[in-house]
Amino acid sequence: MVLRSMRRATIFLFSILGFTALPSVAQQPAGPNKAVQITGLVGVKTNTSGNLTLENGSLQFASSGAKVSVPIHSVEDVITENDSQRVFRGTLGTLTMFAPYGGGRFLSLFRSKIDTLTIQYRDTDGALHGAIFTMPLGKADPFKKDLVSQGARTSIPMQDDSGSSKAKPEAAKEKKP
Amino acid sequence: MKRSLYITTLAVLLVGIHAAPARLLAQAPTPPAKKASAIQVLMVTSDEIKLPAEFQISLYENLIQQLEKQGGFQHVYREGDHHADGAADLVVLHSNVRGFKKGNEMARNVTTVTGKTSIDVHCQFTDKDGKSVLERDLNGKVQFFGGNLRATLDFAKKAAKLAHDSFAANPVS
Repeated sequence: MVLRSMRRATIFLFSILGFTALPSVAQQPAGPNKAVQITGLVGVKTNTSGNLTLENGSLQFASSGAKVSVPIHSVEDVITENDSQRVFRGTLGTLTMFAPYGGGRFLSLFRSKIDTLTIQYRDTDGALHGAIFTMPLGKADPFKKDLVSQGARTSIPMQDDSGSSKAKPEAAKEKKP
Repeated sequence: MKRSLYITTLAVLLVGIHAAPARLLAQAPTPPAKKASAIQVLMVTSDEIKLPAEFQISLYENLIQQLEKQGGFQHVYREGDHHADGAADLVVLHSNVRGFKKGNEMARNVTTVTGKTSIDVHCQFTDKDGKSVLERDLNGKVQFFGGNLRATLDFAKKAAKLAHDSFAANPVS
């Protein structure tokens, strides 16, 4: 009797786990790259998260509030670099600063590595714009490769780029405390 | 003994009084520059040091945002904007980064006293013909809270205030 009820409970538990796991597998984005726009795109607030895609010869950033498109042929420079950021950031990160017994300081030790993608482009009036995005680690270089293959220019070719892993310039490295 | 002490004190005071005007003259601000209705911001350069691209872009974009926020100029043009060619009284802002120290956000958060990020920028304002009308060294830093790029915002605020106070045709924003 007990064994039967345990078996039922286990099956029930696994079925719930299966249902919650399935959508997350299905929602893995194939094309779009998740990115956070730090600054630069007209009409998009700073630190807005959204999806970066390459569609119909243009670089598109779509967030919940705005969708901005930049023609790839107008992109004059694409540069990728590495950085790191606090795991607990934003409002939560600010609130942790007030945690007692140095809890905020302790939590700020937890950091995640990210890639940064920086682009320079010109609008229809010839005005120079710049935009900075952060992306998950290892995503910026393939995206840059796609951008360059579709007509964007870069001052640092792919093999020499600071990139995400190997050759990092001194200026891009964070100094150890 | 008392007399020599008196004379020495008097001499020090006299030297101080003489030196004060010279110091004041040295710190005197440059004569007021001409007013302008429009300003053009050129891309930030860094000839002497290697500046990460994200800092370069952040400096440029923050400069434009802060100049627009401060008000006082009818137009804030970006580099290469064709509309700037027709502007009559235009000042052009050239910014050259001369010092950069990329600090460490984690060190700032943990220790409070280390990990400062600082940027030293030489700002030159020229008229349309390229003649320099004002030059100043400004810096931006982030000492306690925030990411490293926050130093660029600090600099941009100072540069926008300088431009506003020196050239804005409509000082009341």
